[in-house]
Amino acid sequence: MSVEVRGLNVAIDGRPIVRDVDLTVGDGERVGLIGSSGSGKSMIARAMLGLLPRGAEVSGSVLLGGTEVVGAAERDLADLRGRYVGVVFQNPGASLNPVSTVARQIALPLRLHYDLTRAEREERVMAMLAKVGLDESVAGRYPHELSGGQQQRVGIAAALVTSPRFIIADEPTTALDSIIQRQITDLLVSLVDDAGASMLFITHDFSVLARATTRCAVIDDGRVADRGATADLLAAPSTPEARELVESARRLTLDPTLETR
Amino acid sequence: MRFIAHRLLLFAAALFGVSVLVFVALRILPGDVAAVMAGTAATPDRIAALRAQFGLDRPLVVQYLDWAGGLLRGDLGTSALTGRAVVAQVGQRASLTFPLILMSLAVALAIGLPLGCASVLARGRRMRGFLHVVAIVGGAVPALWSGLLLILLFSRGTGLIGIFPSQGFPSEGWRDFGRALASLVLPSVATGIVAGAGIMRYTRAAVGDLVDGGAIDMAMACGMTRTQAVLRVGLRLATPQLVSVVGLTFAQMITGVMVVESLFALPGLGALLIGDVGNRDLIAVQSELFLLAAFFLTLGLVIDLIHRALDPRLRIGAGSGESAARSNGGER
Amino acid sequence: MTMRNLSESCTRVFRAIWRRGSGRYALTVLGLWMAVAVVSLFWTPQPLLATDGYHVWAAPSAAHPLGTDGTGADVLSWLMAGSRTNLVIAALTVVCSGALGLLLVGLMVSRRAGLGSVTVAVVDALISIPTVLIALLLTVPFGASVGVIVGACSIAYGLNLARVARPAAMLAARSDYVGSAFAGGASGWYAFTRHVVPNIAPVLAVQLSISAGTSVLAEAGLTYLGVGVGAGVPSWGHSLATSVKFINVFPLTVLWPGLVVTLAVVALNLLGDALVRVGEEVAR
Repeated sequence: MSVEVRGLNVAIDGRPIVRDVDLTVGDGERVGLIGSSGSGKSMIARAMLGLLPRGAEVSGSVLLGGTEVVGAAERDLADLRGRYVGVVFQNPGASLNPVSTVARQIALPLRLHYDLTRAEREERVMAMLAKVGLDESVAGRYPHELSGGQQQRVGIAAALVTSPRFIIADEPTTALDSIIQRQITDLLVSLVDDAGASMLFITHDFSVLARATTRCAVIDDGRVADRGATADLLAAPSTPEARELVESARRLTLDPTLETR
Repeated sequence: MRFIAHRLLLFAAALFGVSVLVFVALRILPGDVAAVMAGTAATPDRIAALRAQFGLDRPLVVQYLDWAGGLLRGDLGTSALTGRAVVAQVGQRASLTFPLILMSLAVALAIGLPLGCASVLARGRRMRGFLHVVAIVGGAVPALWSGLLLILLFSRGTGLIGIFPSQGFPSEGWRDFGRALASLVLPSVATGIVAGAGIMRYTRAAVGDLVDGGAIDMAMACGMTRTQAVLRVGLRLATPQLVSVVGLTFAQMITGVMVVESLFALPGLGALLIGDVGNRDLIAVQSELFLLAAFFLTLGLVIDLIHRALDPRLRIGAGSGESAARSNGGER
Repeated sequence: MTMRNLSESCTRVFRAIWRRGSGRYALTVLGLWMAVAVVSLFWTPQPLLATDGYHVWAAPSAAHPLGTDGTGADVLSWLMAGSRTNLVIAALTVVCSGALGLLLVGLMVSRRAGLGSVTVAVVDALISIPTVLIALLLTVPFGASVGVIVGACSIAYGLNLARVARPAAMLAARSDYVGSAFAGGASGWYAFTRHVVPNIAPVLAVQLSISAGTSVLAEAGLTYLGVGVGAGVPSWGHSLATSVKFINVFPLTVLWPGLVVTLAVVALNLLGDALVRVGEEVAR
């Protein structure tokens, strides 16, 4: 599914957070958004999903496979989410429902959007668990009984169980340590590519970005500061903002204490 | 399991503590219990007779053990005034007071939960402000006053729209079910409104906090609308907290319940207790106070256990960190 | 914290409350309440003890704007004088429940683990005992009085305060700077007053203002039940209880004492609300 963002503006309580952002994600393409925290990149993703907080004002246009999201009715947006668009959140420990089992959470999008029998649902959930590399025994457990990496695998399973055509991954690895970060990034990329879906990958970490995306946009203070092929931007950042982010990413990846943790 | 054992032990200790407290409070009176019970005009003979009758001439420890032993056997003593067993008196009055409390709680939940959720979901600034005012004002009304206003509005005889009885309880009790129920409507609404405003505030706070958390976002990302996510996920996640709140509301409502019992001339537990305190029927007061305190301690215990059962993070094994720390402390 | 710092931050908090509409209402009503209490010391429309045998249960008139009660005493004068009693009860409840709450919090975060967990257990067990039962227990030996109301409210709200403030207190007590303060040889008292108390101050302020409001409601209920202020002491609860008897005589008079109570409690609750918001602003 291709995604077109044109002239997107988001203001919260009158304060502009996202300013005039244009962005395209082609069919089957993996695109990154990179920027420091507070740069407004998560708000772009939320605007695409209709998940903005109270008091937010949006203008511009977001076309998800031809459907206009900005100004759409709550019900239509809900039909879109979890069916055509899957979301992987930053902190699975906080976003997974603490009082619901892993199997129930992965099954939730199926229950909301499709009329399946119990057995069919269970079969899909188990298949999805296998795909994200989790043992079947995890199905009956609660999120707090899992490690951070396992929790994020559950998050990915819930986002992908309905085979959505577009995935938004909002800092999916930030809450994890570096070895797990790589595993989760690689898992997400391979699953998205296998399904032929497109993905918007949000991060503040260039080293993760290089593994996950082919093209990217650098967001600074709510604006697109730079854009291009991820490899080019990493090799030769053309703007000061991009240069700064690349430098800090290099420092991080070269820092031996972080690598061995 | 350790938590439950620990909590039960604590419950038993609290029961013992409260029984001692009640006993002592009634023994540090100026003058002795028999003299107070007999009244100012009593002859020394009468006082001595009372003292002998209730065993008040024995040492305090013996008296306490005798009373506590009776409590354990379910024997709460006899009222000095009516000569009836305290158990029977309390049981009869409770058959009015407990339905009244439960109806009040039902009214409170029926008001508080929907309005609390509405104030989380309200989009407009004006609507939110209005619901806020409702919560604040509703919680500031004395039960006596809400009762009076209800009488002025709805009672047969005095009210503008006279549809409900406002005085007394049918002498046949619950055998005359319709009239018994009707006589509790205004009193339970009077206390329920105030408690409902409290539940509304807590619901708004508990569910509102969750809305900023990730679980609601996740549910919406899976395909729920905001309303669905708040009602299905938010309310469920807030349930353990709300159960605790309902338990405390129960306890806070009691003053109001006793007030409306008096205002609506209902012969309930409150009237019994106040009457016995007024009449200096101290043996009865002692047992009644203990019984009520024991009831609320039990309520606290049940609420704690339900709270725990509703949250898988606190279930056996998972929450062992906290309970282990607690019992460690207790052993030292 | 020096005295000057304290008074400066008080002024700042006061201004921040005044800036909000609800806060302004709260401060205005509380100001009026205090003003009436002071005025009633020197002047009421009729002397409190002046009874008028010819005008018993009288409807409102120029001489008695809210009518008279069963002894012919002026209802408005008693209502005014009552604000004094309720002010005293509210103030004492705030002081005593605050002290009890702080004591319990101090025990809870005590570095002697046994003491801490026993206190937590006691608070957990006793929190569900209703105020009215404590009041009844106190009334039997001591008789109905202002002290019984203050005692019952202080115990009940002190327990509640301790429970509400516990998480923030625990967090502060286990933080690194308390650890390093101890490493530097600081006493438990020093760590408590310097680190724990400032951290729970916002929660404390909010809970105490709500407690003050609840004490007004409790006074009304307990006095009506005969376990509140003694007979012959003016209080809003007394006026409210008296007004009940008006219901068949002049129904509208019933409204005033209840309205006074409600407005005062609303003001104290709004003050609590405003304090929450101010606390959030300061935190930001």
